[in-house]
Amino acid sequence: MKRSPPPEKGDSHHVPVAGGDTAPATGRGLQTNGDCHLFPRSTGFWAEAWRRFRRRKLALAAVAFIGGLVLTALLAPAIAGTKPVLCRYKGRIYAPCLGYFRRDLEPAIFTKDRFRGTYPRNLAEKDPESWAVWPLVFQDPSRSVRADEWPGEPANPARDEGRPSRRNLFGTDQAGVDVFAKMVHGTTIALLVGFVSMGIAGSIGIVMGALGGYCGGWVDILTSRITEIVMCIPTLVLILAVIAVIEKPTIWHTMAIIGATGWTGIARLTRGEFLRLKGAEFVLAARAAGAGPVRIMLRHILPNALAPVLVPITFGIASAVLLESSLSFLGFGAPPPTASWGSILNDARGNLAMWWLVVFPGAAIFLTVLAYNLIGEALQEATDPRLREARK
Amino acid sequence: MSQPPLVAVSDLHTHFPVRKGLLRRRVGSVRAVDGVSFSIPRGTTLGLVGESGCGKTTVGRSILRLVEPTAGTVHFAGSDVLATRGAQLRRLRRRMQIVFQDPYGSLNPRMTVRAILEEGLVIHRVDTPAGRLERMRRALERTGLTAAALARYPHEFSGGQRQRIAIARALVLEPEFLVLDEPVSALDVSIQAQVVNLLADLREQGGLTYLFISHDLSVVEHLSDEVAVMYLGRFVEHAAAAELYRAPLHPYTLALFSAVPRIDPARRRRRIVLAGDVPSPARPPAGCRFHPRCPLAESVCREVDPPATRADGHLVHCHMAARALDRAGGDTDAAAAALAEMLARSQDATLAAGAGS
Repeated sequence: MKRSPPPEKGDSHHVPVAGGDTAPATGRGLQTNGDCHLFPRSTGFWAEAWRRFRRRKLALAAVAFIGGLVLTALLAPAIAGTKPVLCRYKGRIYAPCLGYFRRDLEPAIFTKDRFRGTYPRNLAEKDPESWAVWPLVFQDPSRSVRADEWPGEPANPARDEGRPSRRNLFGTDQAGVDVFAKMVHGTTIALLVGFVSMGIAGSIGIVMGALGGYCGGWVDILTSRITEIVMCIPTLVLILAVIAVIEKPTIWHTMAIIGATGWTGIARLTRGEFLRLKGAEFVLAARAAGAGPVRIMLRHILPNALAPVLVPITFGIASAVLLESSLSFLGFGAPPPTASWGSILNDARGNLAMWWLVVFPGAAIFLTVLAYNLIGEALQEATDPRLREARK
Repeated sequence: MSQPPLVAVSDLHTHFPVRKGLLRRRVGSVRAVDGVSFSIPRGTTLGLVGESGCGKTTVGRSILRLVEPTAGTVHFAGSDVLATRGAQLRRLRRRMQIVFQDPYGSLNPRMTVRAILEEGLVIHRVDTPAGRLERMRRALERTGLTAAALARYPHEFSGGQRQRIAIARALVLEPEFLVLDEPVSALDVSIQAQVVNLLADLREQGGLTYLFISHDLSVVEHLSDEVAVMYLGRFVEHAAAAELYRAPLHPYTLALFSAVPRIDPARRRRRIVLAGDVPSPARPPAGCRFHPRCPLAESVCREVDPPATRADGHLVHCHMAARALDRAGGDTDAAAAALAEMLARSQDATLAAGAGS
C-alpha cells in the first residue's frame, strides 16, 4: 500500500516536519508511518471477539454442550420414542415420529387403522409389506412400555425396581416411564425457557434502555421508574399467582412472565451504554453528517452497546432455566404429558430411594446452567474493550 | 471585502443547565460560551485559542448545532443556522463539517472505513453507488491514503492515519466550511506537522474555510489568517494573526505567548506565570473575567466588565490595554510593549515579595 505524497505547491505555509532538519530521510512529505498492509486480513469486532472467545476451552466446551442440547431437542423423536422415524405402510411413506412435536402431525391413517400408539406389532400385522426406521431407543416419554410391545422385550419396571439398566439407561419413574426418554423430550423445554424468556426480556430491556438513555429528559425518568417498579416484582410469586388464575396454564405463560419481569438489568445496562455513547465523538460526527436519531441509535450506538448487553442476557438464560426447574419441582411447571427436567425431580420427592430420578435430571440442569454461565463469562472477557487492548 | 463572510456568529451564548435532586431541578448553568461574535470570510481561517474548558470546543459545536446554543445567531452563507430545521438543516450540514480531536473516539469502531465515509453520502443521497465509491477514493487520496483503506476497520490504523480518515470523512461531502476541533492535539509531534501541512494543502486546493480550534499557539499561527483568544466563554482578544503575534494586548494573551517555547532567542519572551486556576464557568467572576488571575488588575477590573477596544482591526477587552492604547495614541506595537513592561515589573514585584516573606 503506497501513499502518494501531497502536491508540492504552496510551500510557504508548511510547517517543517519534526526531525526534517537533521534526518533528511524522513522528508517532509505525507508518508504515514503505519503499515496496515501487514495485517493479513481485516477483522471486524465480532471476528476479533470470537478469536478471543475461542482461546477459552471451557467456554468452547460449553458452546458445544448447548449445541448438543439443541440437536437433542430437534432430534428427540429419533433418539427416543415408540413411533417410527420413517415407515412404509400400505404403499406410502410416513413419519409418525413427528407426532411427538405436535399431535396432529401424526398421520391420520394410523388413528383410523386403530394403532393406538403401538406401532411394531400393528405395522407387521396390518401390512406385511411394511418396513420402518425406529428411534435409537424404543422408549416413550409419556407412558410405560408394555411387555412384548417390541417383540420379545419385557415391560418397563416400575417403582423402586426401575434402576438404570441396559433397557432403561437412566432408569424408570414410579409409573415405569423411561427417564432417558423423558429427559430427551424435556430438552426442548429447557432450551425454550431460556431463549424465549430472554428473547422477550432482551427486546423489552434494549428498547426501554435505548429510549431512556438516548432521549433523556422525561422519557428517561419514565422508563427508569418503570424499570424500578418492575424490579420490585418477585417473579416466582407472580408466576404462581398467574398460574392459579389462568384456566389452562402452559409453559408459554411461564416463559412470558419470566421475560416480562427479567428485563430490568438489561434495560439499566443498555441505558448506561446509550448514555455513554450518546456523547461519543463518532456519534457527533454522524449527527454532523446529517444522520437522524433512528439511524444514530441503530447504526452507531446499538452495535457498540450490544456486546455488554449480551452478557446479562446469557446469565439471564441460565437463571430462567433454573427458575423453570424450580417451578416444575414445586409442581407448577409444564403440565403433563410434557415433562421438563424439573418435574422429574419432583417425582423423586415421593421416594428418595429412587436416586436415579435425582441424579440424572439434576446433573442435566446443573450442566446446562453451568454452560450458560461459562459462555456468559467468556463473552464478557472477549468483548471487554479494556481487556482487549491489554491483550493485543 | 464586498463579499459577505461565509460564517457570521453574533452574540452566541451556549449555557448548559446544572440539574440537581430527584426532580432534576435546574439550579444554575455553566456558561460555556457567553457572548461571542465573529465572522470568517470565505477562504480564510480563524484560529481559536484558549485553555481547556474555556469554551472553544463549544463554539465549534454550537455553529454546527451539535449542541444547541442558548442565544445569539449563526449565519452560514446567508442562511440562519439556528432557525433551520429538518431537511433544510440537513442540507446545511452537508456544507459544514467537523474534524474532532481524538481520532480514536471519532471513528465508529464497528464500521469499516467505507461505511464511515459512505454514510454522509447515503444520507444526502449523493450519486450512484459507483459514483460514491469514486468520491470516497478521491477523498482518501486527497488525505494521503489509498482506496485499500476502505475495507478496513479504524483499529487497524495509526493515530495519524485515523485522523486522515476523519478528515476524508469530512471532505467526502465536499463542504465549504470545516470546524477543526484540535485536530492535531492528540497526535505525535512529527505527525502533527504532517496533518497541519495536509490541512494547509487542502485549503489551498479546495478553497475551504476553517475554524481552527487549538490550544497550541504555534500550530494556530501557521494556519490562521485571524486569531481569537478565548477565556472563560468570551473572546478577550481578536486580531489578524500577524498583528496578534506581533503585538498582543491582553495580559492573558501575553501570558499564553510567554508559555510557548521559542528556539530563536530574539523572540524569546519573559515567562509570565499566572496564579490560580480558571474560575468555574458556572459562576464567572464579576467585572473582567480575568481579573482574579491578572497581575495588572485594578479596582476597575473587579467591577466593570471591559468593553471592546478597537485599534487597527485589533479587538481587545481589557481596561489596562485600553489605557495603554490611549497613551500610545492607538499604536498597538507601542501599547503592547508598554503592557509587556508592566507585566514584567509586576512579576518582579511578586517574586521580590515572595523572597522577602
